[in-house]
Amino acid sequence: MNEALQVEGLTKHFRVKRKLPGLGGSLRALWRPSYEDKKAVDGIDLRVERGETVAFLGPNGAGKSTTIKMLTGILHPTSGQAHVLGYDPWRQRTALAYRIGAVFGQKSQLWYHLPPSDSFELMSRVYELDRAVYRQRRDLLIERFELGQYIDTPVRRLSLGERMRCEIAIAFLHRPELLFLDEPTIGLDAIVKQRIRELIAELNREEGTTVFLTSHDPGDIERLCRRAIVIDHGRVIVDEPVERLRRSVLSYKRVVVRLAEEPTELAALPGVETHREAPRVLRLMVDTAAVGMTEVLTELMARYRIEDMTMEDPPMDDVIRAIYQGNSELLEEGGA
Amino acid sequence: MRLRIASKLRKYEAVGVITVRHQLAYVTDFILRSLFLLLILYVFIQLWSAAYAGDTEAVIAGFTLQQIVWYLVFTESLTMASPRVAEKVEAEVKQGDIATRLLRPLSYIGYHLAAYLGEAALRFFVHLAVGSLIAWLFVGPPDFGLGLGALALLAPGSFIVAFLLLMTVALCAFWVEETRGLEFVLQKLKFTVGGMLLPLEMMPDWLQSICAWLPFQAVLYVPARMAVSYDAELLRTYLLIQWGWVAALGVVVMLMYRRGVSKLHVNGG
Repeated sequence: MNEALQVEGLTKHFRVKRKLPGLGGSLRALWRPSYEDKKAVDGIDLRVERGETVAFLGPNGAGKSTTIKMLTGILHPTSGQAHVLGYDPWRQRTALAYRIGAVFGQKSQLWYHLPPSDSFELMSRVYELDRAVYRQRRDLLIERFELGQYIDTPVRRLSLGERMRCEIAIAFLHRPELLFLDEPTIGLDAIVKQRIRELIAELNREEGTTVFLTSHDPGDIERLCRRAIVIDHGRVIVDEPVERLRRSVLSYKRVVVRLAEEPTELAALPGVETHREAPRVLRLMVDTAAVGMTEVLTELMARYRIEDMTMEDPPMDDVIRAIYQGNSELLEEGGA
Repeated sequence: MRLRIASKLRKYEAVGVITVRHQLAYVTDFILRSLFLLLILYVFIQLWSAAYAGDTEAVIAGFTLQQIVWYLVFTESLTMASPRVAEKVEAEVKQGDIATRLLRPLSYIGYHLAAYLGEAALRFFVHLAVGSLIAWLFVGPPDFGLGLGALALLAPGSFIVAFLLLMTVALCAFWVEETRGLEFVLQKLKFTVGGMLLPLEMMPDWLQSICAWLPFQAVLYVPARMAVSYDAELLRTYLLIQWGWVAALGVVVMLMYRRGVSKLHVNGG
């Protein structure tokens, strides 16, 4: 079987208690509670091949985490079917757990007062690893993730970046065939993010680990994934190669420039949309597919005296909005 | 097959060991609890000394002053050893941390039981040492023959029944938003009908016959009573009572867990 994930019509509805505002509402909810049916996931179909790196995207509340929790067997679906590495995640959760890994960026699996080496040891027991195999694997991960310096330092004394490296290294300890990463780079600085992406990409290449990632950072998707699936209101709305998205929406960079004096006119550059945010602050959306960043910066420096400048990926919400627009255009093109 | 079972058990042993190591970081908590225990025991020793009018030979409901003071040391050490598992489970369900637990090839109840036993054993020995100091000072050493051996035999069952009782409350977090109230009631039942403050023999007959049918006595009264007044025949009965409750409550906890986890709504994104 070559499919890591095979999902058909996956649906999850929650019954959410509704409360009217005020004390009266609270009392009424006690006496006669009313419920509302919320469709968190509404009929998702997915197929992911082994060894793929997939970005699973969507705005907050789109159903990403609920889907991951169903695919790992934690949540039971309202309806639909799934096979994860050939297992039924709800009936065979424990058997599946030996073969998958997961990192939730906002939930730590490390023991706060103990060094990461203790968490490695515990996980080796939990996954019933042979001692010699475990030691070899642990040493390899410590070397690759450069954990040597702080492997014996209590977790509470580690920086967020160091901790996240440990979290991801531990997730690889039992050689999972499929790794779920839920916001793995949240809150990290650019250099640490980049290093973590490289490490995950390396292990995906070398060990064929399938990576299923959710993130609000377009950089994670662009630099780590080959395919992007976008969901909204619990449904898949886009499923296409990242390369294609890169050409259409991920090619944009946001540049904010603070000038020494107020400009008399705004520079009109090809492939650049310029907005004035404040009298001396310009915000530029640069389409790097149309114009090189070097050309844009040279042009800016020739025209203005610059005090400060920042460059970043556009926020995920903007990317998703652009994906929606691109998708509707694509659909129109397809229909034409 | 035997290797496979050993490997499965070793993972729970590892959970117990790491919990003990993690607990050792909370030295201040240990010191505060130990000081509190000293204070409680001092107050009760004064109270019981007054009740016995300082007579070390007097016997009330079958207990001498020395026995009753050591009885209190054992029940207090067992009570204060209990980790806050209901609070932990409720927080895991509310904050969604249960997701990281369920991702592992590990039983959720088994994980909490192993962690509970590790933490409870450590606390029990610390509190027993502290409690023994004050009791020894006021009423002399615990020369109860095989009683201390019986305590060692009954302590694991006591911890497991206490854990399962707490779990029946903790797992309510799958259905209700707040379990603190239920936990409060459970704790007070252990204190009263569980025989923490008074051995059951000192209660009215009608209450004793009710207590005999409740699981609370298996947690505190049974081990402490046997420790201060050893009786080989009664020990067998007590072991049967304890492990009978372990089996019955174990079934209840597993049924609750299975129902609860299948309707779980994991919070926190």
